[in-house]
Amino acid sequence: MIRGIEFYVDMIFVTAKAWILALLGRFLPDWIVVLASITISGVVILCLGPLIMMYLTLLERKLIGRIQNRYGPNRVGKWGLLQPIADGIKMFTKEDIVPANADKIVHLLAPIAIVVPALMIFLVVPFGERMTAVNLNIGLLYFIAVSSITILPIFMGSWASRNKYSLLGGMRTAAQMISYEIPMTLAVVPAIMMSQSLSTNAIVLAQVGDYDLHWFIFTPWGIVGFIIFFLCATAECNRPPFDLPEAESELVAGFHTEYSGMKFALFYMAEYMNAFTLCGIAATLFLGGWQGPLLPSWLWFFGKTFVLICVMIWFRGTFPRFRVDHLMGFAWKFLLPLTLINILLTALWQFTSNLTAWLWSILILGISLWTLVKLNRTFVPEKRHYPLES
Amino acid sequence: MPILELAAKFGTYAVMAAILIFAVGVVTFRNLFHCALCLAAALIGTAVIYVVLQAEYLAAIQVLLYVGAVVTLVIFAIMLTEHLAGKTVRQNNSQSPLAIAGLLGFVALLTGLILKTPWPVTETALKAKVSVMGLGQTLMGAYVFPFEVISIILIAALIGTVVIAKKDDPEDLPR
Amino acid sequence: MTLFGMGVFKGMMVTLKNFLTSYFRKPDEGGIFTVQYPEEREREIENFRNFPFLVYDGSHEKIRCVACGICERECPPKCIHIEMELDVAGKPTRKPAVFDIDYGLCMNCGMCEEVCPFDSIFMDHAFEVTALGSSDGLNRHKAELAKSNKYFQKVRPTLASVIDQKRKAAEEKKKAAAQPPVTPQEPK
Repeated sequence: MIRGIEFYVDMIFVTAKAWILALLGRFLPDWIVVLASITISGVVILCLGPLIMMYLTLLERKLIGRIQNRYGPNRVGKWGLLQPIADGIKMFTKEDIVPANADKIVHLLAPIAIVVPALMIFLVVPFGERMTAVNLNIGLLYFIAVSSITILPIFMGSWASRNKYSLLGGMRTAAQMISYEIPMTLAVVPAIMMSQSLSTNAIVLAQVGDYDLHWFIFTPWGIVGFIIFFLCATAECNRPPFDLPEAESELVAGFHTEYSGMKFALFYMAEYMNAFTLCGIAATLFLGGWQGPLLPSWLWFFGKTFVLICVMIWFRGTFPRFRVDHLMGFAWKFLLPLTLINILLTALWQFTSNLTAWLWSILILGISLWTLVKLNRTFVPEKRHYPLES
Repeated sequence: MPILELAAKFGTYAVMAAILIFAVGVVTFRNLFHCALCLAAALIGTAVIYVVLQAEYLAAIQVLLYVGAVVTLVIFAIMLTEHLAGKTVRQNNSQSPLAIAGLLGFVALLTGLILKTPWPVTETALKAKVSVMGLGQTLMGAYVFPFEVISIILIAALIGTVVIAKKDDPEDLPR
Repeated sequence: MTLFGMGVFKGMMVTLKNFLTSYFRKPDEGGIFTVQYPEEREREIENFRNFPFLVYDGSHEKIRCVACGICERECPPKCIHIEMELDVAGKPTRKPAVFDIDYGLCMNCGMCEEVCPFDSIFMDHAFEVTALGSSDGLNRHKAELAKSNKYFQKVRPTLASVIDQKRKAAEEKKKAAAQPPVTPQEPK
């Protein structure tokens, strides 16, 4: 079977790995080859995670700068491309300060523990065709489970610092992450229902269609699910406008107030890697993952993910921070009912998917949205009058 | 691949040992927060054992429910107590020796039972691998009634929480 | 009724517009207003003032300062140090032998400029001053402080010409004052 050049470009990483393994297999025992296979994927992910984080910080600073009519970093290297490396050197050489009353061991463990789940999520992200590190058949469940651990290290850091701001940040994190995990999980359900699988790869394959435009986002439940998932993802990785846990103006820096140097960098790294993986999962679930015409699959995946990340940065450049009660109300009173309605809608879509179904879904969504907005009217207390008594 | 299998075996034993150590930590540490963290570690270790036994679904659910929800709740509760910073709690009292004796008796009973049970390894038992899809279909098919009952209980719990958390009517409040 | 989420959308459009226009608009029309300092510089404002310097006319010897020490006394952070030059006979020559200004202490207030009766000390535009040590590195001596009147004319032309005219007028008045004893005597 003759294949075009684009196939080989597409498979370049997969082929490279196969070649290396075949080369090793010639003069090494089998078990080393198996180990090498795991090691190659592991090393690639371990390098990719920090690399992505480093350049995300640069991208963010550049974009935010442009939004605020500034240049952003442009001194270290061409277009500031070496800025992340300079930052890294700075972080490495900084003094590591541990508060005198801190719980030393937990204080040390927290930044280490927070990077682990962030890196573990990379395992199930399909970077391209046949480029999922571990093709788990419970991929999505794994993603949800691992991302739920992220709360623990934040708790550890905030508690071990013995700082009231840290502790407040930790409490806020817990409240926020628990609240937003629920609509996020429920927003994923429609995609699982339609692809009838929990495997990330299978979900991408379920979106293959004519002209590659069978993406879930082109259905009414897909749009709603995508928007809810994306908002919850923004909240899950504590990015503005949901950055109450690390609100600089109120809590200094929330749970990482007492961290400096490389420990702080690890917290930062976990946050950016979470942002990347969450965007990647959002692209996988609703935007058709790695598939797309002409370009190689991995380029499509990274393109979609980076568009989503840019939207996250755009959010940061635009919105002020939520108020705590608004934040909780938004998750519980608005997103949660909407996701439940969305699941129902998906079930309807399963039976009929044509123009009438479109109209029906828009009608149902419109009515439910209108009702929810009406029910969620912000409580504005009546203006009190204090009549002057004579 | 005997070397890999051996490594996996030793890894499993190491994880089991770690679980035991953390479990002991849960009941011996004097700091409540450390206890909760040990609990989380022990639960994650259990999830790893599930993965080794090829029950990935169970492992994921274990992490999601126990580590993600239960331990978080426990820690949240600890944070709301006054035993937050520095204060320590004694985890044993005068009745501890009695409890340990009872526990040892229970362990002996369990060991005896485990050793007595033949644990038949049959062809069907080895092949019976529950897939996620099968699990879902069973829940929605054969066991749909208990499933729905559980959801009703959950909804009742939710409504109860809302009722408790609801603000009292300002009219009823004592002035 | 406004559509739900419209405010969010509008806000995002504002930032998007700002982002896009930053690429092609000029600074005063809503583009990037950053001045990239070492390569680009902001236009110098004439009345901008920084550390003080001493003015001389023509050559270094003709320094205007007479070492009266008023600035030394008036200087709030006491960063000026003056010593009068003595000739061979030990008589003061009305010239400074030592004139030090510690730029590390100077707070750029411009008092010295205001109190100087001989128009010899003025505030400079130079602000790129650096040194390795904090204690002594920024202490400037007479040779470095003295700058020509031409330089003064270049940096602060308005003030310099006013001062020059004033000095010229004063000189002529002095000449005139010196001559009158001669002229009235002529008719006699």
